[in-house]
Amino acid sequence: MFQRDAFIQEVTNRLEKDKSIFFLSADFGAPALDILREKFPKNFIHCGISEQAMLDIASGLALEGNKVFVYAMSPFLSLRSIEQAKCGAGLMNLPVCVISVGVGLGYADAGPTHYSTEDFACFRAIVGTSVYTPSDIITTRLIANEMLNEPRFSYIRLDRDALPNISPETTVADYKKGYKIFGNANATKIILISHGKMLHKCLKLFKKEPNRFCCVDIFRSKPFPNDLSKAISSCKGIVVVDEQSPSGNLSSCIFEGFSDQNYFPKIVSKCLPERYVFENGGRDYLLNKFQLSINDIIAASKKII
Amino acid sequence: MKKINDLENLSKKYRRDLFEKFLMIKQGHPGSIFSMMDIVVALYHGGFVRFDKKKNQFLDKVLISKGHATAALYPILRDFGVLPMEEWNNWGNKESLLRVFGNISIPGIDITSGSLGHCIGAGAGMAINYKYSNQDKKVFVIISEGELYEGSTWEALLFAKHNKLDNLTIIIDINSLIILGKTSECLNLDPIKDKIEGLGIKTLDVDGHSLNDLISSFESIKKSKDLNCILARTIKGKGSSIMENKKNWHYWNPMNEKEIKKTREELA
Repeated sequence: MFQRDAFIQEVTNRLEKDKSIFFLSADFGAPALDILREKFPKNFIHCGISEQAMLDIASGLALEGNKVFVYAMSPFLSLRSIEQAKCGAGLMNLPVCVISVGVGLGYADAGPTHYSTEDFACFRAIVGTSVYTPSDIITTRLIANEMLNEPRFSYIRLDRDALPNISPETTVADYKKGYKIFGNANATKIILISHGKMLHKCLKLFKKEPNRFCCVDIFRSKPFPNDLSKAISSCKGIVVVDEQSPSGNLSSCIFEGFSDQNYFPKIVSKCLPERYVFENGGRDYLLNKFQLSINDIIAASKKII
Repeated sequence: MKKINDLENLSKKYRRDLFEKFLMIKQGHPGSIFSMMDIVVALYHGGFVRFDKKKNQFLDKVLISKGHATAALYPILRDFGVLPMEEWNNWGNKESLLRVFGNISIPGIDITSGSLGHCIGAGAGMAINYKYSNQDKKVFVIISEGELYEGSTWEALLFAKHNKLDNLTIIIDINSLIILGKTSECLNLDPIKDKIEGLGIKTLDVDGHSLNDLISSFESIKKSKDLNCILARTIKGKGSSIMENKKNWHYWNPMNEKEIKKTREELA
């Protein structure tokens, strides 16, 4: 199952008893959305291929006390409509949940117009946002339910691919913390911190070498988990792996979050290069080409002495 | 509803009140505010924006998309008692609630605006909510002519028309000037009426300083079953010969005593 279908299923289920939910799409679909549209036609609004207007319409609906979800392909929903997100949900602190599908190189077959490799930095910069990047559908459902129970301005970064469930799965207790640790952090361990698709590479590496690595799934990067530094402070160093361009990616977030917590570990950033990607070959090929393979992560970890 | 003569006097009074404020705070957008003053006087004092006296709040929404002119509403909200007099008096002080651009923390202000091109979309969101929830509420969105340069304006117009938002009225304040000069010379927008009507939107072209025309227009669309747009032809800086049709009076400019005296006389 895809993350988008899992998220929309949760919204659809809630619509059975809560008609103050509106789901807006800028001509972006999903099998689960077809069901939502059919069952609750008055709660679904097609905004046309108009991401900017969609965010403004969402503001109007939210100002009237509704819980609003806006949904589109990541590059267009994030960067094209970012000022609408700021002036609407941001400035007026409105319960608008922005569901952004296809982060990173998710649309590898489409090319750089469709890549979303700056969205994390951009949306994280808007004052008052909450930013989530789930790595599987279990976490995706937990996020959806949080946004339905406690609606607020949030940016949810979903993967285009159907990612496997992580094991052991994220529990409600993990969820409340905003992160999940795999393994035990100690002075001999390198911590691999990631989210979304790249977390799965880190988990593979952790499972291969559990005595050398520990792994953190930081599915909630903003607000930054307030006890993460305490949980890993005994580690040897940190490699942050993110399918984003270099500026403002997850490693910036980790550094800033830890800095606020007076924790200054050695951090190595593994991310995409400072250039747009025009090459073909598919997502995994491109990730390998741009040194985001498991072997590249191992090599990066060796920088931490 | 007040008589036309009373409404005209109110418009003058509000321009005068705001002029004294601008003099004091040495900032603001008098050109844009004076151009739309008659429009908002017609809307509020003409009874088209309905007021619930018991709740001391308006039933309908007014979104000033040209956020730099939101202050045009302050004296109106003051006179309705929605905005406390002490807040009006406090405008210009450091801790003042009122500011040049409005926001939703100000009683009676329905949206935080300032960046152009947002409010037709937001108004459409409100209007569609009222329709779906069977609420008898109307939304009036006032945009500047310059906002027709924003793509999101046209996106939202398409949306509002498609959804037959008959509870939404869009008023375009056409004073023919933007910061750098005449719209016709900077980047021509004409024929605006043809363009809006080309979307299938019923469009009225009125003198934006004729309270009579404005009242008649609002009255005529009251029972409309579709989206309506009013093109209000106005004069930037209306009421002050020093400001009228001057692009530099988009912003406040320092005035000498002679100019202040003259403006006070004209606005009296």
